[in-house]
Amino acid sequence: MELQENLKRIILAELLVPLALFVFGAYHGVLQVMYLAGVIRANSFAGIDYYQGLTAHGVINAIVLTTFFAVALGYTVISQELKAHVSIAGAAISLALMLAGTAMTAAMIFLGKASVLYTFYPPLMAHPLFYVGLVLFIVGSWVPMWTWIPVYLRWRKENKGQNTPMGVVGILATFIVWQMCTLPVAFEVLVQLLPWSMGWTSGVNVMLSRTLFWFFGHPLVYFWLLPTYVLYYTMLPRLAGGKLFSDFAGRFTFMALILLSCPLGLHHQFADPGISTTSKGIQGILTLLVAVPSLLTAFTLAASLEFAARRRGGKGLFGWWNKLPYFDPENWLFPYLFCGLVIFLFGGITGIVNASYSMNNVVHNTAWIPAHFHLTVAGPIFLGILGGSLLIVTGLLKKPVVSGAMAMIVPYVWMAGTFVFSAGFFIGGLRGEPRRTNLGLTYMNPASPSYRPDWYVPAHLGMVGGCIMGLAVLLYFIVLIRSLVAAPNAAQAPFALPTSEPYHNENVAAVHNFAPWVAVAVLLCIAAYWVPISNIVKYGSSNAPGFRPDSPAAVDTTH
Amino acid sequence: MSINVFEKRALLMAVASVGVSLTLIGYATWGMGINVPTCITLGAKPFQQASVTKHDGKNYEVHYVARMWAFEPSVLRVPTGSTLDIYAVTKDVTHGLLIAGTNVNLMLVPGAIANSRVHFSKPGIYSIVCHEFCGINHQNMFARIEVSDQIADYSVEGLPGSEGAKLLDAKGCLACHSIDGTASVGPTFKGAWGAQVKLSDGSTRTLDAAYFLEKVRNPSANTVSGYPAVMPEVPLTDDEINEMEAYLEGLEN
Repeated sequence: MELQENLKRIILAELLVPLALFVFGAYHGVLQVMYLAGVIRANSFAGIDYYQGLTAHGVINAIVLTTFFAVALGYTVISQELKAHVSIAGAAISLALMLAGTAMTAAMIFLGKASVLYTFYPPLMAHPLFYVGLVLFIVGSWVPMWTWIPVYLRWRKENKGQNTPMGVVGILATFIVWQMCTLPVAFEVLVQLLPWSMGWTSGVNVMLSRTLFWFFGHPLVYFWLLPTYVLYYTMLPRLAGGKLFSDFAGRFTFMALILLSCPLGLHHQFADPGISTTSKGIQGILTLLVAVPSLLTAFTLAASLEFAARRRGGKGLFGWWNKLPYFDPENWLFPYLFCGLVIFLFGGITGIVNASYSMNNVVHNTAWIPAHFHLTVAGPIFLGILGGSLLIVTGLLKKPVVSGAMAMIVPYVWMAGTFVFSAGFFIGGLRGEPRRTNLGLTYMNPASPSYRPDWYVPAHLGMVGGCIMGLAVLLYFIVLIRSLVAAPNAAQAPFALPTSEPYHNENVAAVHNFAPWVAVAVLLCIAAYWVPISNIVKYGSSNAPGFRPDSPAAVDTTH
Repeated sequence: MSINVFEKRALLMAVASVGVSLTLIGYATWGMGINVPTCITLGAKPFQQASVTKHDGKNYEVHYVARMWAFEPSVLRVPTGSTLDIYAVTKDVTHGLLIAGTNVNLMLVPGAIANSRVHFSKPGIYSIVCHEFCGINHQNMFARIEVSDQIADYSVEGLPGSEGAKLLDAKGCLACHSIDGTASVGPTFKGAWGAQVKLSDGSTRTLDAAYFLEKVRNPSANTVSGYPAVMPEVPLTDDEINEMEAYLEGLEN
């Protein structure tokens, strides 16, 4: 069944607008590695301040691009897999709110009124419109799920006894996690930060803000990851020429991530005062449990690839690896998912390091952290977004991908770049190099008393890697633009995402119903956060005045 | 219906590997005593004044104050083999305090005191880095600890107010004004800065820089109610007065 015409336009906007913004996000990514290596030794370059650009890099790449892609993929999967029309009004309202929010937030960042980074920790205070923009964006992203639920329930009623399509399970899981985790951050922004930035309240409880932010900030990571898992579980086996090894594994993984996404944000606050080691320890254990669905996913996807390779004539214990379609321009999407998986192996292992409680003392807030998350959000997730966007955009417009060979090369170049970049940042981080710092002015400046010659090689490795990543982005946009301007082929079949058949179709009842998983997830959140949050509310001071990033004098909002 | 045997093994291995990780973390935490920092000081008012206190032997208690964009003290020199109990606060936005090459890694959050302990068994220069974005000069916010075999006791640089304490003593102020709240000839300095005082003429003033300067320059006027007007005129330069103020401001508690 073909998608509704208006829905197609909305999906195209949801994919192309953030990709256009991403041009700046990527540009400033390349600039940052030059600042860090001391190649650019300045506070600003071409009219953009380092921290202003860093804020834009984080907000555009990690929030705007990822959320729009999740919504666009969600609409595509729900319509296609449930063979149903969705509410166009809902989709339009969602798009309008998200675009308005993006425009407002981006305007404040580019005017230099919100250089507070994407974590916007108080008492650094941004312009009120920055916070208003964030709220509009988040509320806009809530709308789609509530319009999909009636469609899903109707499908269940009309298709009794049938399994819900895997993609639908993944998309609903994505947005259930999103709905749960964005409530605390909406509270932080609406009740704490917005009135405070307007001067209606004189102070803010910073520990509460941080805790609410990370209640959101870690599930955000799974919200990024889940759409990519949808691509992995529904498309990758098909693209490899095989079947999904286990239907159960996919459903279990999606349910487990609903369960374990929220009650573990404190592992981002292991170094914070005011929270007991008991609370930190409990959430530390919950964090490590996420390794179970992750390792099961690694097994299932590897087994699916092996199944496909043996079907293609692969033999031997390891010989079958040669039979996968690594370099097939017709199948250019396969390497986007495959390279993402390879990068994710390293992202996952280093994530276990971060989650390992006292190990955090060594890596917290050092360059190790961006090294890690450029192997997750900028690895499988980003490649999933690039590949998925190119597939959907050209599919909906009935245009060819020009050229498949160049599109196929992008993920390999990107993978090489992330490995070099992250190697530099990992080494630098272990030597104490801080993240989010304009190193070139001081630590990478031989004239400064804080010069650290032992950070020189890591910072330059990071720069080389960052430039290779920039090259991959450049190649991608050449393909995207050439494809967009190519003549459409009206005779092309209606667009549909490729989907995989299961090989083992184990029917395990426990993973076929969202309700119990959501209920236990809510209970776990309450259990994990009740004590730390009530202590912070009870004992924490809520009188921190605001500061602008450019002045050590507190902001006077009374006039 | 039943789950594939290899998949079952993969699940078991996943669960087992989490178990192994948790066991190792437990050993690191309790067996080796490497914990994450905690300091439940919410509700207590954070200190305002950086200081270094020598306890017995080579044990020091260091109070770091972080502000946009410096650490106080900026340089601390201690002998090799020293153990430092570090307490740190921020005066403005959230900062970070990382001592490169050690396990000290703290967030300094307004309204709370962060705490860690570090033992320096090797000589060297240890960078203290602010690792949380704190404004446009964030990259300029650093300090260092110099650990040396050549020194017997600690020394320190960049402790604002420490000069002020010495001056108050040297100029004789402490003869009549205590810093610990003890009653004396004159009112105590403890908790006085920024507070309202009732004067003998019935008016009320806040102890701020203006009043402090007036009182030093013209000590017979503006006497606090209930105390004798006996304060002598002590010649002080503007710099000396500023140092004293910096110290008194930190005595808020």
